[in-house]
Amino acid sequence: MSVTSPDRTGAKAAAPARRLRYRLRIAASEPTTLIGLLMAALFAYLIVVPIVSLLFDAVQVQLGDQRRTGAEVGSFTWYYLERTFGSRVAHHLFWGPLVNTLTVALGAIVLAMAVGGTPARLLARTDMFGRRWFATALIVPYMLPAWTFALAWTTLFKNRTVGGQAGWLETLGFAPPDWLAYGRVPVTIILALHYAPFVILLFGNALRRFDSQLEDSARILGAGRLTVMRQVVLPLMRPALMSAMVLIFAKCLGEFGVPYVLGLPVAFDTLATSLYQNIASRQSGVAAVLAGAIMLIGVITLTIDAWLMREARRFVTVGSKGSMDRLSPLGGWRWGATGFAALMFALSVGLPLLTLALSTVMKVPGRFALDNFTLDYWIGTGLNTVALQTGILLSPDLWNAAWNSLRIVGIASLTSGLLGLLVGYVVVRTPFRPLGTFLRQVTFLPYLVPGIAFATAYLSLFAVPRGPIPALYGTWVILMLALIADQMPYASRAGIAAMTQLGKDPEEAAQVAGAGWLRRMVSIVIPIQKGALTTGVLLPFISGIKGLSLFVVLAVPSTDVLTTFSLRLVDYHYTQAANAVVLIIAALAYFGALLGQKLTRSNLAEGLGG
Amino acid sequence: MPRINLMGVRKSYGGGGPNAVEALDLEIADGEFMCLLGPSGCGKTTTLRMIAGLEHLSDGEIRVGARVVDSVGEGVFVPPEKRQMGLVFQSYALWPHLTIERNTDFGLRLRNVPRAEREARVTRVMKTLGIEAYRDRYPSQLSGGQQQRVALARMLAVNPEVLLLDEPLSNLDAALRLEMRAELKRLHREFGTTIVFVTHDQWEAMTLATTIAVMSQGRLQQVGSPNEIYDRPANRFVAQFVGNPPINMIDLAAGTPLAVSARRFLGERSPDAGAVGLRPEAIRLGGEAGDFAGPAEVTGVLPTGGSWIVELESDGAKLFLTTHQPPEVGPGERVRFAVRPEALHVFDRDGSRSAVADAAFAHGRMN
Repeated sequence: MSVTSPDRTGAKAAAPARRLRYRLRIAASEPTTLIGLLMAALFAYLIVVPIVSLLFDAVQVQLGDQRRTGAEVGSFTWYYLERTFGSRVAHHLFWGPLVNTLTVALGAIVLAMAVGGTPARLLARTDMFGRRWFATALIVPYMLPAWTFALAWTTLFKNRTVGGQAGWLETLGFAPPDWLAYGRVPVTIILALHYAPFVILLFGNALRRFDSQLEDSARILGAGRLTVMRQVVLPLMRPALMSAMVLIFAKCLGEFGVPYVLGLPVAFDTLATSLYQNIASRQSGVAAVLAGAIMLIGVITLTIDAWLMREARRFVTVGSKGSMDRLSPLGGWRWGATGFAALMFALSVGLPLLTLALSTVMKVPGRFALDNFTLDYWIGTGLNTVALQTGILLSPDLWNAAWNSLRIVGIASLTSGLLGLLVGYVVVRTPFRPLGTFLRQVTFLPYLVPGIAFATAYLSLFAVPRGPIPALYGTWVILMLALIADQMPYASRAGIAAMTQLGKDPEEAAQVAGAGWLRRMVSIVIPIQKGALTTGVLLPFISGIKGLSLFVVLAVPSTDVLTTFSLRLVDYHYTQAANAVVLIIAALAYFGALLGQKLTRSNLAEGLGG
Repeated sequence: MPRINLMGVRKSYGGGGPNAVEALDLEIADGEFMCLLGPSGCGKTTTLRMIAGLEHLSDGEIRVGARVVDSVGEGVFVPPEKRQMGLVFQSYALWPHLTIERNTDFGLRLRNVPRAEREARVTRVMKTLGIEAYRDRYPSQLSGGQQQRVALARMLAVNPEVLLLDEPLSNLDAALRLEMRAELKRLHREFGTTIVFVTHDQWEAMTLATTIAVMSQGRLQQVGSPNEIYDRPANRFVAQFVGNPPINMIDLAAGTPLAVSARRFLGERSPDAGAVGLRPEAIRLGGEAGDFAGPAEVTGVLPTGGSWIVELESDGAKLFLTTHQPPEVGPGERVRFAVRPEALHVFDRDGSRSAVADAAFAHGRMN
C-alpha cells in the first residue's frame, strides 16, 4: 500500500479554482471541445440565424411596404400574416396552394405505394428474373432530378395553351386537354414515379429483414397465405410503410421544379411555387410567412416520422436467424413478374429519357422524318435564335454554368463532408455532453426545412450587409454556404455513424503511443474514415448537382448553375436546349452515383434515401 | 524504471451515480508486475485509463517517478501522448489501414528515430514476439493471437517505462492464453518494464502477477502477493472472489446447524466473528482431534481431470471439497468432514479478516 503523506490528502479538498485549473489543462491538451465550440458557433450562424431572421421578416415591416402598412421599416406588424392567411388574396397566396400541395402529395403517396409496392415485394421476396439488375434499375428515377420527367412530360403532352414549340402528341394529331398537359394530374403522376423508388427501398428493405420464421410459425398453425399476409406481415410492415409515406410527403412539400414547369401554364400553384413567385415579385414579407408555413408543416411531418420510427423499434424483427433472404418461387408467373418490372422501368426511365434525348435532335417536335433530325442544338453554329447562337455544347453559358455547378457544389460537398466527420468526432469524443447534443441537433435542423424555405431564409439574412459580412446575394458564396448548411444533416449523420463505429480505441492507442491531436487526425482518423468521407462527399455532391429549389431562389444569371440555367432556358422556351442541359445533369447525377458505388463498394442508391 | 503512485484518486462520471473509483491509494513499485483484479464494473479499467491519462481525475494525484502527471489539487495534467507509456487495449485497437510493420514502428516514427535504428528495433521486437513473417500484412489478415502480439509489439517497440495492459488475453482461446501468459512473463523478465495488468480472471492474476490489487465497487480491497491474497484474504469479498471452486463461506448469523457448530467451535477465540470460510482443498474426510469437524452426506463426486470435486451436504448446507486423490466415497454415503483450525478463515461481522482469530490459531499455522 502507498504511504500517503498528510499534505497529500489535502488534495482531496482541492479549492474550486485549482480544480478549474486542472480542467483547463485537460481542455488545453485536447482541442476537441474547442473545435466543437467553434463549429457550434459556425452552425448557429449558418443554420439557426437565417431561420430566425426569416421568422422575424414575417412580422417586421419590409423595405418598400411602409406606405401599405403605415409603419416604419423594421417595426412589428401583423400585415404579412394577415395578408397571407386572411386577406382577399389569401386564397391565391396560401390556401389554394396549400390545398394543391396537400392533394398532390397525398395523390403521389397513394400512387407511389401502388406503383412501388409490387416491385418492392417482387425484388425482396421472389425469384423473379434479373432481380439484382432491377433492384438498381428501378431506383434510377430517384437518382435523376424530378423535373427531368416534368420536361419529358411537356415535350410529349404540351398543347396550345402556352406558346413555343408544339408537343409531340399535338404534332401527331392529338391535342391533349389542359388537365392532361398541365397541373394537378401530371404533377401527381410525376412525383409518384419519382418517389416510387422510396417505397421500393424502404418497404423492400423491411421485407428483406423480415423474419420468415414468423410467417412459418403462422403457416404451421394453419393460416393460409392471405391470412398470414393480412395478420402477420402487413401489421409488422406498417411502420416501414408509414415512414415511406411520411418521407414522400415531406419531399413533395418542398418540390419546386415539377409544379413550376407543369403548373405555371394553368396557374396551378403549390406552396413552393407560390413562395417563389412572391420572392420574384419582391414580396419578402409574404415570402417569409409562406416559408415559415412550409417549415412548420415540414417539422410536423418529420416529428410524426420520428414517432413512427420509435414505434417501429418496438417490433424487433431485425437480424434474427430467420431474416435471411428466402425467396418464394413464382412458378408460371416468373415471366409475368419480370415483364411487369421491365414495363415499369420502360415507363419511369426509358420513355422519359428517350423522349428528352430525341427532342434535342429534332427541329419540329414529334415529326419523325429523317430531315427533321439535327445535331444543331448540341453542336450547331450560327443558329437563328436570340439568346443561343450556337448549339448548347458550344455555348459559353453552359460551360460557365457547369463550372459554377462543379465549383459551388464541389467545394460545398467537400466542406460539408469534412465538417460532418468533425461533427461526428466531437459528438463521440467530447467529454462535454451538451456540446455534442447541440451539434447533433443543429446540424439536423435543415432536414426539417424544405430547401426552398431554407433558401428564403438565406435570402433574408444575406441580402443586405450585416456587421462585417457584406451583402452576399448575387455572389456564389451565398449558394455555397446555403448548400453546405442544407447538406449538413446527411453529412453529420454519416460522420456520427462512422465515428461511433470506429470507437475511441484506435485513436487512443495512437495517443498513448505519443501522437498529438493533429497527427492523430492526419495519420489515424481520416485514413480510417476514407470510405465514409468519400460517401459523405459524394452523396451531397450528387444531390447538389441535381438540386434546384435551393438555387432557384439564390442564383442570379452570373451565378447560374446547371439546374437554374436549364430552368432559364425553359422560361425562354428553348425546349431543345433546356432538355439537353437536363440530360447532362441526369448523366452527371447517374454516373456520379455509379462511381460512388464503385468507390465504396456499397449500394449507394440506398444512401440516396436522405 | 519509475514507480507509480496513486494518491486519493477518485473518479466520478457525474449524474449522481456512485463513484467509479473511490479514494484509491496505491503504489506500484519499480519493475513490478501488478494485476488489478476484480469483477466487471469494479473500476479497474478506469484506474488503468487514469494512469494512462485517457480518463481524467475527479480528485487526487498520480505520480510516475518524481513526475506529477495528474493533480487536481495543483492543476497539473500531462496529456497521454506525453506520458511515455504503453497501453494494450482489450480490443487491440490495431490501425486497420496500416501494415503490421507500420503499426509497430508508428511510435518510433513519431519520436523521429533514425531509419536504421528504427528498423533494427522493430525487427527485434517482432522477432521476439514471432510476428516477423507478417510484416507487410494488414491487421484484418491476422488471427486474434497474432493481432494481440502486434498490439504488444507496437507498445514494446518504443520501450516504454510503464506498460499498461487492459484484459489483453480475454479475446483469446484457452491454448493461446496459456502461451501468451508465458510470453508476458518472459517479456517482463527480459525488458524489466513496470507492468500494470487489468483482469477479471483470478487465475490469470495468480499466475502472472508479482502483486495483485483486488478491487470491488471502486474501492481497493487488498494489495499483496498472489499467495497472500489467496492464503490471507483481507475480507470476505476477497476470500469469495479468489479461489475456484469458491471458498465455502459459513454465515454465522444464519442459524443453521453448521453455523451453530462453527460458532461453538470458535468460542471465546473470536467473539466478533461473523463468518467462517473453508477453502475446498482444506477440507478433508475423516480428520483428527482439534479439527473443526461435522457429519455430512456425499451428494456428488465430480471428476475434473486429475482432481475431484466432492459435493457434501451438512445439515442442509452445501460444502465443496477438492482432492487430488481419487475419493473413495460415493453419493449417498455418510461421512465426516474436517478442517484444521489454522486453515479456517475467520471474518468479523464487518467483513474484515479477524485478527483475533488469526492470533488464536497462529500456533497451528506455524507447524
